[in-house]
Amino acid sequence: MTKKNAAMEIENLRKVYSTKNEDTVAIKDVSLTIPEGKFVSIVGPSGCGKSTFLHIVGGFIEKSSGKVKVRGKEVEKPGPDRGMMFQESALFPWLNVFDNVAWGLDIQGMPKKEKNEIVERYLKLVRLWEFRNQLPSQLSGGMRQRISLARILAFDPEVLLMDEPFGALDAQTREEMQVELLRIWSESKKSVLFVTHDIEEAVFLSDTVVVFSGRPAVISEVIDIKFPRPRDLNLYKSPEFRDYRNQIWDLLHQEHHKPVQIVSEVVNG
Amino acid sequence: MDNKLLRMIAVIELLAIFLIWELLAVFQWFPTYLSSPLAIFKSMGELWLDGDLLNHIGSSLFRSLMGFLLVVIVGVTLGILAGYYRRVGTFFDPIVNTLNPIPKIALLPILMVWFGISDTTRILIIFLTAFFPCFVATRDGVKSIKQVYLWSGQNMGASTFQLLRKIVFPVTLPKIFDGLRVSLGLTFVMMFSSEIIGAANGFGLGFLILNADLGGRTDYMFAGVAFIGLLGFIFDKLLLTIRGKVLWWDVNKA
Ligand SMILES: Nc1ncnc2c1ncn2[C@@H]1O[C@H](COP(=O)(O)OP(=O)(O)OP(=O)(O)O)[C@@H](O)[C@H]1O
Ligand SMILES: [Mg+2]
Repeated sequence: MTKKNAAMEIENLRKVYSTKNEDTVAIKDVSLTIPEGKFVSIVGPSGCGKSTFLHIVGGFIEKSSGKVKVRGKEVEKPGPDRGMMFQESALFPWLNVFDNVAWGLDIQGMPKKEKNEIVERYLKLVRLWEFRNQLPSQLSGGMRQRISLARILAFDPEVLLMDEPFGALDAQTREEMQVELLRIWSESKKSVLFVTHDIEEAVFLSDTVVVFSGRPAVISEVIDIKFPRPRDLNLYKSPEFRDYRNQIWDLLHQEHHKPVQIVSEVVNG
Repeated sequence: MDNKLLRMIAVIELLAIFLIWELLAVFQWFPTYLSSPLAIFKSMGELWLDGDLLNHIGSSLFRSLMGFLLVVIVGVTLGILAGYYRRVGTFFDPIVNTLNPIPKIALLPILMVWFGISDTTRILIIFLTAFFPCFVATRDGVKSIKQVYLWSGQNMGASTFQLLRKIVFPVTLPKIFDGLRVSLGLTFVMMFSSEIIGAANGFGLGFLILNADLGGRTDYMFAGVAFIGLLGFIFDKLLLTIRGKVLWWDVNKA
């Protein structure tokens, strides 16, 4: 039962980590559909299972139960149809920028000429073509993440999975990267599943924000962000933006309020 | 401290040791059979002029380097497989853990039954001794690879063989070189030990040393030992040079 315009479909997903001493339920019955060409973000507190969720969609770890489909195809193992940007930098430190971006194309056995053209196109798209001969260790954090993005776009996946790609950057670089990402995304219009713990980042980038709560992850709300595109950083200052932000903030902090209320009830009486 | 200063200190240190040794020998506080540095240098010169030295060195180097080559091929390959596939690792664990502490020279009688007193036996003894540091370093290096590197490779559609060749191997190279350096040192240790088997005829620094000892020429004996030391030193430097060329990226940022 595949919906026509769904890029990714997740049904009753459940993940239990079993270790010697205990079982941790990381994800509990999550169902989510990401429509074709949409930018969908997941926000949630640290440790609630966001990375786990993305790793399952990427095929890197096994689910305990449920269904995960990407473009109608059941996910079983990792593959180049889903481009994954990991929470920590995954660039290969022994290869220069060019060879990093070319890696996925080399694996496919693409002819040299075609490969060089594609690498050039994407390094220019992220505005780092001049740095092609540098090693990743010689670049700043923001530049490294742009290279990572170029490397993924180069092998032309059907969907993008991004796990807090800007999490380690300072506030200003992070905003620049958000604008940059929207610019690049507007050219490809690939469906994106984007994980962050930064509420404003999620609102700024997304068509839809999915709020994960607590541990184990369950969806507490799905919010459509109705700003037109293209968007620029001025959006941050608008009152509607703050409304969205506050709404999500409240959702994320509900759980923390609960115990406080219980305490006050006891005090009252 | 800059490199020049460090190198100066090393040279001065060596000279000081030689000087003290020389003085001890000259004043005969040392037993005479320990020879003296000058006498040893002189003997090294004599051996050099005597035509056989290059043959001795050539034969010894052949055995050591063949052993080392086997270590590079077998040690690295098995190390990578044992580190990557848990089952291969578990298979090798008991073998490695029991064989590693044994002085491999103790296996000599067994090897001699199969291969006689031959270069094959000597090379195998050298290989068996030098195998373990390389194997263990490679295996542990592979085990400590960051998961995201492998996941990235799989994400870009790499097969297992491509993962091993194009990610696991290069990431582990620094550790592999660490292990190979220890292994290389051991092949020079075993250069002597492997040659003391059988009649000491033919070529090899071990034979040279043994014959000098039997003939009462301790100066030649020490000269032979010094040549082994010198060769070990040169090949260690060679390995470090290759390492520097291959690992041109900053290893610490892996
Ligand atoms: N390999 C594992 N084995 C056991 N438990 C794990 C494993 N990986 C994650 N967990 C647990 O699963 C839960 C979710 O982890 P996950 O990394 O998905 O969280 P996250 O939302 O991405 O957090 P963060 O925002 O800090 O990145 C955590 O409680 C974590 O302890
Ligand atoms: Mg995470």
